[in-house]
Amino acid sequence: MLFPTIGFAVFFAVVFPVTWLLNAHNTWKKVFLVAASYYFYAAWRPEFTLLLLVSSVFNYGAAFAIDHFKDRAQRLTVLWLAVAANLGLLGYFKYYNFFAASLMNAFAAIGMKVDIGFIEVALPIAISFLTFHALSYIIDVYRRVIKPTTSLLDIMFYIGFFPHLIAGPIVRANKFLAQTIGPRDPANIRLGQSVFLILGGLFKKVIIANYLSTGFVDGVFRDPTANSSLDLIFGMYGYALEIYCDFSAYTDIAIGIANLLGYEFPQNFNYPYRATSVQDFWRRWHMSLSSWLRDYLYIPLGGSKFGTLATYRNIMITMALGGLWHGASWAFLIWGCLHGSALVIERMLGITGDHADAKRGTLATAVGWLVTTQFVCLAWVFFRAPSTDAWLGYFATMFSGRSWSTSVTPFVAVIFVLGALSHILPPRWFETLEKRYDEAPLAMKVLVPFVVIYLISVAAPAGIAPFIYFQF
Amino acid sequence: MKHVEPTKLERPRPRGQLRTAAIVLYGTLMLLAVTIPQSVVNWLADMNGNPVQETAFRGAEVLRKLSQGAGVSTVYQRARDIFIAISGVEPD
Repeated sequence: MLFPTIGFAVFFAVVFPVTWLLNAHNTWKKVFLVAASYYFYAAWRPEFTLLLLVSSVFNYGAAFAIDHFKDRAQRLTVLWLAVAANLGLLGYFKYYNFFAASLMNAFAAIGMKVDIGFIEVALPIAISFLTFHALSYIIDVYRRVIKPTTSLLDIMFYIGFFPHLIAGPIVRANKFLAQTIGPRDPANIRLGQSVFLILGGLFKKVIIANYLSTGFVDGVFRDPTANSSLDLIFGMYGYALEIYCDFSAYTDIAIGIANLLGYEFPQNFNYPYRATSVQDFWRRWHMSLSSWLRDYLYIPLGGSKFGTLATYRNIMITMALGGLWHGASWAFLIWGCLHGSALVIERMLGITGDHADAKRGTLATAVGWLVTTQFVCLAWVFFRAPSTDAWLGYFATMFSGRSWSTSVTPFVAVIFVLGALSHILPPRWFETLEKRYDEAPLAMKVLVPFVVIYLISVAAPAGIAPFIYFQF
Repeated sequence: MKHVEPTKLERPRPRGQLRTAAIVLYGTLMLLAVTIPQSVVNWLADMNGNPVQETAFRGAEVLRKLSQGAGVSTVYQRARDIFIAISGVEPD
């Protein structure tokens, strides 16, 4: 069930009133929202709801086991076992075939024929997201940030809540569980903000991401060597806009929907292509993942506490695993390592810290933005190319300067401009719009979303592709 | 198109937010169903047949005929045709 569909609109039209009608009966409300979330997940493959249930029950029990022991070493042992079980499940579904193939290739390279065998099982949608939610919970219990909840229902609700279930944002256990304790206050609904997040998300996904994908980017990446150098350059920037508009659309809609139901999710994007360094980029792109990796991987590895070399090592490990989190392929690993290397180089050059721009001056900041944007867009090619041959061919053809003709149509050019506007328009314009909307008469409050969705429908492609991050 | 930390934009909390949100939600869906009824008909036609689907489908068909009779749904089709002609995208 995709957000920009009639099916989801009908689903939400039922979920919204029932949730608020049950608000005074918090337990029943959570039972209803868990059931609705499992129904939402079952729309893809009903059998995978079992995975959701098993993960919830296991981590509910694991948290109690961790909390049961007073001795730190015992607590740590139980935590490691629980983390290994969570990652084992993820590894089985997502990485087994990748590692099996890599191992067999490695043996073949030294002349040995080893047949490990592959598994034929569909990858459960969003397994990486639900695993990270579960890990957040048990690690926070281990760190005594939160007490283990006595309610299995709360854990099922936290891991399975439908707005964030498929593609985030990754909500921290301590932030979400605090919201499950009692009824939610309807006065917390920020209508203008939620409406514009949802409308903006629909526009970014249905119009910009879909037309960039089907109208240009997919064709360029399908056979890079058949395209001109200029088209490959446009394809690289096109994909950068597409993945931003696609992924940020999902999380914007998720944040808006959750708020309409009375729940708060963290911010996930903050104009990432305005970043003036790679460190700055990771503070703006998929913020809930980058902060998760920082808190649950980089810092436990030692962070920057144990000297320069150890810091560089920890950055590389974090970013390499962050790359692999996206998928089981060498391209994702290379993408993660590229970002890790860039972060290390920035540290070597001293381009880090919260006030790096203020220290650098305007010209250096502008150069920082230019270099960062080119680096990020080049790295996306690894992310998007379907195989090693594809990205090798892509770069070889792009840098060959073979031809400077282009197949970009005027319509695709307009879509490019609209995508770029998502970063160019000042944030205060949107804030003013929201404020005006909140102050507008009721009829106008209904007319605005109606007109925007009507116009999006007029210009929508015939079918909506799934969100890119669903595969992760 | 914007991404805002929800907690950073605290404004005075108006009363009756829930009522207003409900009116916005159902008002918008109702207007869309009346002005683009064909999409509801198509969606229901794609579903597996059961008594609920069949009843809803018949209702959607009535809505489509009423909308067509009043000339409301033809506005959408004309707008769509103009968009396809201008943009050059594949017709439905």
